[in-house]
Amino acid sequence: MKINAPFVEKILTKFIKEELSKFDFSRGILGLSGGLDSTVCAFLASKALDPDNVICLIMPYGDTFGRDIDDAQEVVHFLGIRSNVINISPMVDIYFKDHPTDNKILIGNKMARERMSILYDYSVREGALILGTSNKTELLLGYGTIHGDMACAINPLGDLYKTQIRELAQYLGVPERIQKKAPTAGLWEGQTDEEELGLTYENVDRLLYHMVDKRQTADEVIALGFDKEMVERVISLVKNSEFKRKLPLITKLSDRTIGHDFLFPYDRER
Amino acid sequence: MKVAIAQIAPHLGDVEKNFDVHLNLVERAQKNKADLIVFPELSLTGYTLQDLVPDLALKPDESPIFQRLKQLSEDISLVVGFVEEREQGLFFNSAAYLSDGKILHIHRKVFLPTYGMFEELKFFGQGKNFLTFESPFGKTGLMICYDFLHYGAGYLLFAGGSEIVIVISAAPGRGISGKEGWETSHMWELMGESLSRFSTSFVIYANRVGFEDGKSFAGGSFIYNPGGRLLAKASYGDEEFMVTDIDLDEIRTFRKKWPYKRDEKPEIVLEALKRIVKAYED
Repeated sequence: MKINAPFVEKILTKFIKEELSKFDFSRGILGLSGGLDSTVCAFLASKALDPDNVICLIMPYGDTFGRDIDDAQEVVHFLGIRSNVINISPMVDIYFKDHPTDNKILIGNKMARERMSILYDYSVREGALILGTSNKTELLLGYGTIHGDMACAINPLGDLYKTQIRELAQYLGVPERIQKKAPTAGLWEGQTDEEELGLTYENVDRLLYHMVDKRQTADEVIALGFDKEMVERVISLVKNSEFKRKLPLITKLSDRTIGHDFLFPYDRER
Repeated sequence: MKVAIAQIAPHLGDVEKNFDVHLNLVERAQKNKADLIVFPELSLTGYTLQDLVPDLALKPDESPIFQRLKQLSEDISLVVGFVEEREQGLFFNSAAYLSDGKILHIHRKVFLPTYGMFEELKFFGQGKNFLTFESPFGKTGLMICYDFLHYGAGYLLFAGGSEIVIVISAAPGRGISGKEGWETSHMWELMGESLSRFSTSFVIYANRVGFEDGKSFAGGSFIYNPGGRLLAKASYGDEEFMVTDIDLDEIRTFRKKWPYKRDEKPEIVLEALKRIVKAYED
């Protein structure tokens, strides 16, 4: 699972640069939370592009996560990139005023989609392509909000497990406090991914690596020493989140149908 | 002999643009006094074509692009990759060797990868042969990408008398580890070293770079001499124009020392294969 960080950095920065230029963009935009993944994405973007062409939207919900906002601003300052702070609490609060709920997940999802909506609005205002920040662990477990934090134009981090992103972060010189922070989806205050998932990233990444990358079966990984209950839980998370990794299904009627047999590359004539 | 390898990043689905890139690099190769320039697989079209295949196909006998390539080949040998329309509506992933104003040989990719991230058999017809031909530099054989990873293909070129094996490729990098480069790059180099050494032929491998739909083509083009020695290697992932001097006398030098070619018995292989294949049928 070890990575060669300089090589990974080279491939990912080339990817960002090339993909943007293919679509005639010189700017990239991302949501910066002050957490590890978006910080690593900002570091890569600032290496791939002119720092003036990297725009970070910092989108806090009111005054919660004050520390994260400070960290995000420190990253912006350190990299010399552009940023804008937009408080999402007015939009979120007004919705839940009329549609109250105690369900923290619903509130968290709404916040993630509010941020997505602002990112897409700013993408047009700034003429900037949206860089995704979901890692391979989250994508496989479905630990993200569909059409929320999972939404983006291109995702340079989607084939790196969380622990590999940590390795890359260290090489890139991400501030130590951000490297050491407990990963959180920022759904509510005090929430951490590992607590909510009931898994540690070290463990789940190793398990996913064996099952996804090495194509080993449940029995084989259990024989390697992984806890049976955990293996079953992870398999079910991966299975039940397939829809988050696909475009919506279209009922086939005609001779040629989008998603079935109308097959063109994303980078068509680019 | 001077060999130029054009490790380029073709524009996906834009033949005109790619043709311009070819023209520029042919000129550059001539300035460098190269005798041969090798472009990667599907160099005129890009790789991830899917339903673009029919729109981009060329008929070498009729295509103005091939007319121009033939003219250029009066002064320098060229290997290009393209979508070939052979009969109406039959498309192949092909490589053409041009020299002295003519197309000397067209190889149609036999082993079309269709697994995991690859879907070539959905869009291309399958080539049927591995033939050697006389080029101005000796007996030459062509392969395209996944062909090279089937040692039967290398064997057929060897049995056909190849002295120079040219492989054009659009191989994406796969697998990261603690080491620099892709895990898959080693696989190509291993085959390059083995085939060159055991067929006592030059192996010239031209891979592409750039991204298509998130795939990163690995680059790492190389040349091995007939003794399995690496003569030149391009970077992983960067566009590069690499000119290498090769000494064709080395074929003779290594065949004197290592008589694999003299001692090979294709007729034994043929008879044994017949028996093996017959057993499959039973």
